[in-house]
Amino acid sequence: MNSSGTKFALGVYTSLFLVFLYAPMVVLGILSFQTGPEGGPQFPIIEWSTYWYQHLFGFTPPSRIAPLPINEALFRSLVLSVMTMIVSTVLGVSSAQAFRRKFRGSGVAFYLIVLGMMVPGVLVGLGMALVANVLGIDRHWWGTAFVLHVVYTYPFAFLVMLAILNRFDPSVEEAAWSLGVSPIRTFRKITFPLIFPGVLSAMLFAFTLSYDEFSRTLFASGRDLTLPLAIYGTFSVEVHPNVFAFGVLTTIFSFALLGVYAALMTLSIRRAKRIAIQEEA
Amino acid sequence: MIYDLELYQVGKVYDNGTPAVIDFNLAVNKGEFIAFLGPSGCGKTTTLRMIAGFESISSGNMMIKGVRINDISPAQRPTSMIFQNYALFPHMTVRNNVGYGLDVKGMAKAERNAKVDRILSTLGLDDIAENKPDKLSGGQRQRIALARGLVVEPDILLLDEPLGALDANLRKAIQNELKLLQKTLGITFVFVTHAQSEALALSDRIVVMNQGRVEQISPPHQLYTRPNTPFVAQFIGRNTIFKGAVKGRNAGHTMVDTPFGTLTGDANGAMADGANVSVVIPAEAIEVHAGNAGGREEISRLSGGNVIDAKIRRFDVVGHISHLSVALPDGRMLSLEAHVDKYPPGAFPVDADITLAWKPERATVIPAH
Repeated sequence: MNSSGTKFALGVYTSLFLVFLYAPMVVLGILSFQTGPEGGPQFPIIEWSTYWYQHLFGFTPPSRIAPLPINEALFRSLVLSVMTMIVSTVLGVSSAQAFRRKFRGSGVAFYLIVLGMMVPGVLVGLGMALVANVLGIDRHWWGTAFVLHVVYTYPFAFLVMLAILNRFDPSVEEAAWSLGVSPIRTFRKITFPLIFPGVLSAMLFAFTLSYDEFSRTLFASGRDLTLPLAIYGTFSVEVHPNVFAFGVLTTIFSFALLGVYAALMTLSIRRAKRIAIQEEA
Repeated sequence: MIYDLELYQVGKVYDNGTPAVIDFNLAVNKGEFIAFLGPSGCGKTTTLRMIAGFESISSGNMMIKGVRINDISPAQRPTSMIFQNYALFPHMTVRNNVGYGLDVKGMAKAERNAKVDRILSTLGLDDIAENKPDKLSGGQRQRIALARGLVVEPDILLLDEPLGALDANLRKAIQNELKLLQKTLGITFVFVTHAQSEALALSDRIVVMNQGRVEQISPPHQLYTRPNTPFVAQFIGRNTIFKGAVKGRNAGHTMVDTPFGTLTGDANGAMADGANVSVVIPAEAIEVHAGNAGGREEISRLSGGNVIDAKIRRFDVVGHISHLSVALPDGRMLSLEAHVDKYPPGAFPVDADITLAWKPERATVIPAH
């Protein structure tokens, strides 16, 4: 095959890849603009409308289709993700810092941490439910489920920080020590500002993984549902395009989150510059 | 007398059991410029890092101004280290890099600023004080690192191959600056390098290391003219080495039986007759004489019997330096250099028979390992 033929084949391959990647999202997005309440989750579009978006926020006249029971679930999921993000990132940064030096049992500890993201979620969730039963602990999204979310997202934060610290030049820290700067202050003022972009990435990972975590939460969260569970619950009755409308909104929310991440990244770089100038004065 | 830095039987063994430094003994006077010189992996950087506190000391004692520092943290030691890659703080301006060591000491702002300004102007960094280090050249970054290390007024400045990342011209320039700075400030410098030209040019004394052991501690000239061990004889300068056995003494010199006859030199210690030794002759000590039977006895008499017949293989004059390649009877090749006045163009035709000779006091007899 000549090189232009190769190029063409690779182009087709890439296009197909992109189609399979984004087609589901695009289809959902289109169907979310189906008319309601009689329009269903299938083509053709009877009439374009924003009915299901209004339905989502309760702006439509009452109909036989119940509103999505997501208000509280959304709140729970957001709180749970933020809690998970904070705890996992702190654990991830500090343990990755510890792994910079070899210590006795570091190999075993590494695999124990990483195990949290390897084991099947349903099994862990079920196991947690059984353990809670045996110990007589009530299952809650802020208790048993929270622990599982941390166990699951902590390895991701840990691996991100491990990669970041791997590329970090330790002689910068040694230079600070040799100038008389204590190790704690060196970590705060030299190491942390330099690894901060990595910390942001670890936070993003932990948040998004926790926010749409399903299988672990299923058995471990008890009575009160998180967002993914609540949405799944509506499927079991009948699927209406209001779920698609919600999907579009959460996708936009995720993009917004990425925007915040990018903004924080640039800010952290600017802030470092500004502090430097302030110290000057 | 209190030394600035003392090492007694200092040793370092890595966790996996490999010894990195073995029985290091050294006493450094205040204001001395010491170089650790050796091939890579000889333990010189490890020793420097033990002085800085970045590596633990496995055995022995280390003192700074008479105070034992084995268990003192790097931040509390009166040392400051300059790294080969400079290790500047990339998120701070040049001025803040330099001032950072003073900030943590809780020094008054005015005093801190005055000190920073003084060192910045000493090293010619005023113009770039507000820049970030990543935008600057290697030479500038090197100076920033020096300023940052010196402004905290350490008792000892430790330098880990600080010129290694610079190009040859810049290295020469900064080398001179460094020497001048050290003399002006009177601070003790300990400098690690694998380049002997740097060590010879800069230091008051050189510690030659090999495979974790100290081979010799001497001023540069003495290291050059009086190597103490076979390693130093091979590593420093260009020496010719003849193996043999001690035959006896003659007029204070030691006579050694070698395949080239009896050669004499000065022993670097007590040696029993029959001991296996090497005679080390610096290339500069060797005189080349046109070979004719008549003159040979006279030459031999003047140089204490230190004569060897040889052949010219090449003779070039480059500028004002004459280069000679000489073949010894055992096939070894020797390169010699001298000013063109000594060996003018055409002095030796190729394949000419010649006689090499040297004075006994310029050769050193060392134990062969």
